[in-house]
Amino acid sequence: MKAEVVVIGGGPAGLAAALKASEHADVMLLEREDELGGILPQCIHDGFGNFIFNEMMTGPEYAQHFIDGVKKSDIDVRLETAVLEIGMDRKIVATNPAGIMEIEARAIVLAMGCRERTRNQILIPGTRPAGIYTAGTAQRLINIEGVMPGRKIVMLGSGDVGLIMARRFALEGAEVEGVYELLPKPGGLTRNIVQCLDDYDIPLHLSHTITDIKGKERVEGVTIARVDESMSPIKETERFIPCDCLILAVGLIPENELSKQVGIAIDKRTGGPFVDEHMETSVPGIFACGNVAHVHDLVDDVTLASEIAGTYAGKYAAGKIEEAGRVNITAGKNVRYVVPQFLRGLDMDSITFYFRVKEESEDVNIVISDGDRIIFEKREMVVKPPEMVKVVMPSSLLANTGGEVRIDVEGKYEK
Amino acid sequence: MKDMVLKKVEKIVRRHGFDDISVSMENGVVYFNGSVPSVEDFVQIGLAAGKIKTVRGVVNNLYYPGRKKKKKKQGMEEKIGAADIVIVGGGITGCFIARELSRYDLNIILVEKAEDVATGATKANNAMVHTGIGEYMGTLKQKLCIEGHLMYEKVANELHVPYKKCGMWIITTKHTLKHYKIPSFIADFISKRIIPFIVLRRGKKLGIPMQSVNRRELLEQEPNVTGKALAAVYSPTYGVTCPYHLTVALAENAMENGVKIMLNSEVTDIVTGDGIVKSVITTKGTIDTNFVVNAAGLYADEIADMAGAREYTIHPKKGSTLIFDKEYGNYINHSMSLLKFPRTEHYKGGGIMLTVDGNIQWGPTMESPSRMEDKSVASDDIEQIFRHFSLLTPDFPKNVIIAYFAGLRAATFTEDFFIRSSERVKGFVHAAGIQSPGLAASPAVAKMVLSILKDEGLEMRENKNFNPYRKKPVIFRELSNGEKEKLIEQNPLYGKIVCRCEQVTEGEVVDVIHSPVPALNVDAVKRRTRAGMGRCQGAFCLPRIARIISRETGVPMEEIVKNSEHSNLFVGKAKCLLGEGDDES
Amino acid sequence: MRNEFTCIECPLGCAITAEKKGDEITVTGNRCARGKKYVIQEMTDPRRTLTTTVFVENGIHSLLPVRSDGKIPRDAMGRCVRELSKIKAKTPVKCGDVIAANTGGTGVAIIASRDMVKK
Repeated sequence: MKAEVVVIGGGPAGLAAALKASEHADVMLLEREDELGGILPQCIHDGFGNFIFNEMMTGPEYAQHFIDGVKKSDIDVRLETAVLEIGMDRKIVATNPAGIMEIEARAIVLAMGCRERTRNQILIPGTRPAGIYTAGTAQRLINIEGVMPGRKIVMLGSGDVGLIMARRFALEGAEVEGVYELLPKPGGLTRNIVQCLDDYDIPLHLSHTITDIKGKERVEGVTIARVDESMSPIKETERFIPCDCLILAVGLIPENELSKQVGIAIDKRTGGPFVDEHMETSVPGIFACGNVAHVHDLVDDVTLASEIAGTYAGKYAAGKIEEAGRVNITAGKNVRYVVPQFLRGLDMDSITFYFRVKEESEDVNIVISDGDRIIFEKREMVVKPPEMVKVVMPSSLLANTGGEVRIDVEGKYEK
Repeated sequence: MKDMVLKKVEKIVRRHGFDDISVSMENGVVYFNGSVPSVEDFVQIGLAAGKIKTVRGVVNNLYYPGRKKKKKKQGMEEKIGAADIVIVGGGITGCFIARELSRYDLNIILVEKAEDVATGATKANNAMVHTGIGEYMGTLKQKLCIEGHLMYEKVANELHVPYKKCGMWIITTKHTLKHYKIPSFIADFISKRIIPFIVLRRGKKLGIPMQSVNRRELLEQEPNVTGKALAAVYSPTYGVTCPYHLTVALAENAMENGVKIMLNSEVTDIVTGDGIVKSVITTKGTIDTNFVVNAAGLYADEIADMAGAREYTIHPKKGSTLIFDKEYGNYINHSMSLLKFPRTEHYKGGGIMLTVDGNIQWGPTMESPSRMEDKSVASDDIEQIFRHFSLLTPDFPKNVIIAYFAGLRAATFTEDFFIRSSERVKGFVHAAGIQSPGLAASPAVAKMVLSILKDEGLEMRENKNFNPYRKKPVIFRELSNGEKEKLIEQNPLYGKIVCRCEQVTEGEVVDVIHSPVPALNVDAVKRRTRAGMGRCQGAFCLPRIARIISRETGVPMEEIVKNSEHSNLFVGKAKCLLGEGDDES
Repeated sequence: MRNEFTCIECPLGCAITAEKKGDEITVTGNRCARGKKYVIQEMTDPRRTLTTTVFVENGIHSLLPVRSDGKIPRDAMGRCVRELSKIKAKTPVKCGDVIAANTGGTGVAIIASRDMVKK
């Protein structure tokens, strides 16, 4: 079958992209679960939509808004549909209980989200008993499947996913012995440290890691240890904590297996495709948005970028895109990565750059330059690695650049 | 003769300087009693005695600090049936024997103490079907490995079990003789010319096809191999299979041909009388029989003890293995192993391999002494594997590791298989001490056990209804689009993907839950379907697999286990921990 | 009475120390007025939004995500959660439907966080 725009993934990225794309072309939305929403149905906490809707919504409420929009639209939604492969010329093979679908798409939006870093990837020694879960899986089990993963929890990782789950466990009556974080600074938003840990008297131990897991059939306990500056465990500080459940919140990885299949260039720094300001990848007609492109902190940012991806996917399918000269965006001083990584044409009124800093700093100056010429500056009170920075600038300022634009974060740095 | 051997053993004991050891010998078996200060001493003395040529077996009753006394379990006296033969142990050895025995008109019962077949050493096996080139000359394990290896293709085809002749490079590098501080031009010469020559000669002697290549040819065929490689010998018939798939297939084929398999049934005693086997008592009941095959792996010595037929002691040897992302599956074209001298136990065997599923696998290690129930992986084990195998492919991105695990090999102190009828109890046949190359040797081990049983008087009339073929299981991801479409038309559950990393469908999960050797827990489903073996390691699919098992078996979701009885995944339903409590938050 | 706070009004996250003398509260460490307001609120009447799940009958899932319609006293959260663990919502549910009226005596309602149809 032929389709104009195919959106792969029905989470917040896919929903927003599909809605915008449908303003320009026919859209088919493929979702492997039996309902839309992606990860949002299990994110029952609030904090979503603060930006876009000026409301602190829960994940399901945020999703509901877009699901209602999709229901009212002409978007062809296929649930329980998993994409098996994407071939050259944007040919998609998908499967669902009704059979195999072979779809020739004019434009594709990749919105497959991400997966969690596993215990094995961080090489925690010990046994392999029941009771070890990544935070997202624990969230699914508690909030959707209706089962409790454990009664005495040790959490590794202080990113937002971990902090939210520490609170969730506490609210469901479990004892959260502590949250252990490898780095000397917490990984999540301060608001979550206060409302998820402080409120529940859950101690946060920075510069700590887990050095052993004990338990034959079920977790019986873990050994924690403090780490030195090179993040190696200090053996003398090892302490055994009896517990029956280890939760890992040690990072998210964009899920780009399908993207790699079709030869899309992947940026090692983000784990996602190189994209331009339209969220178009290195393969013409294939767009990427949401966590599949890079891991976001706020779903509001996912929605905004996905709306751009959807708009341009729709325009592409409708034959309405023109390309101009390519401009590369360089991640400069104290910048780990920038999305988009390149620009293709300046037909948008404004361009939003998303980036993360390498080191925390206060009272900084974000400088966007073209060679020696500074084209845009913005002050920021504080920048931290776990908090993605957004800079919106009029695209007219990017006209007539020499093809290389750099973003630097100038300021005082801790040593 | 016995006195000579006894004198040798006593010399060994004296050399160790321990005074609390008594030694005796009977029928070629050395018995140690007493105590030693450490488990290392326990193993060293046992191995030293086991090395003596005429020693058939070593029963090592030496106590060492931490040695646990085997707890006696309570069996059920109630008679549940009679069998011509009872096989104890459902690993690759026991299941192969069961399948081969089912060619005969016999009432066969296999008893397995765990919740599934292949949960012991078989599960952690590194899947290589060795040609036999690496085994010590003149050992039983070498003989059976060479024989068994040649039988593999046939049985794999009959049972629809994956088996690939992946080939193996045996490589010498600058590290091969690094241990010996000899001038590099001599070491290089030995590594380039002498060692490959010796390997080739041995291959010729044993009838194993091998080809020698020089450094340039090796680097052409394996661009990612280390620049420090000097020469290699290629073994084209080296194979790789899937040990648990094979074991499940053997068990299912055996069942189809009349074998009864009892899971969750632990043997607690064996009753003998007048020097013959009378019955086997298990936790599920007593079975009258006159023939027992002891394929109980790590616990074979305990089973032998129950029958009064103890002629060896099993000491476990842990092996850890690392698995890497499939994305790098084409990093090497054939499996490879590094020849490094001296050949201590640590550097014997193992290699960088391609599994049948396309993952790269490094390992296994060999650790001795190990503790009986300890399958943990220490950071040193991981470090050791990284260090050793990086010598072969130094630029391999080790951070794409997706899993690691360990298993325990069941070794005797003679470090060879112990396959023979008991000297003391007629009808009791040992198939014990099956460590590496147990997987490759298994077809030959089974054949040998059958011939021993015949000699012991087991009447073996041909089973005219024997069917060697097993129906090919559905593996969705391997089908063409057309085949997938047809399959989904018959059963829509094959269109629902539940494990996205490995593209496993709900239909396949339901199939294995209802298969003859049913997969009733998450790990059993994982081993049969690969759901949970991908890069996300079950983070996405575990809740779904547990839900399907619950639905199909009627066991409430909150009671679903990971593998064994007490490996509960959950502690209860949501909100089960919210008691009455006080009103402070 | 806890007097060390991390302000959450903006990403700076000032560490604020508060002292209560009689009815007066003095704060130090804040870089703006929002910080002072936040700390005073936290000291006099700390409130939170409660988000949790309740069991639901005949839904496509066995649990329905719910939220408090407004903030409830932080110290009433445990009581509310225990109360809510005993109730069962009925499908069909629309996002925003009241599931429980005066939870834990707080005067705040618990509402559904999503639509859920009958199975």
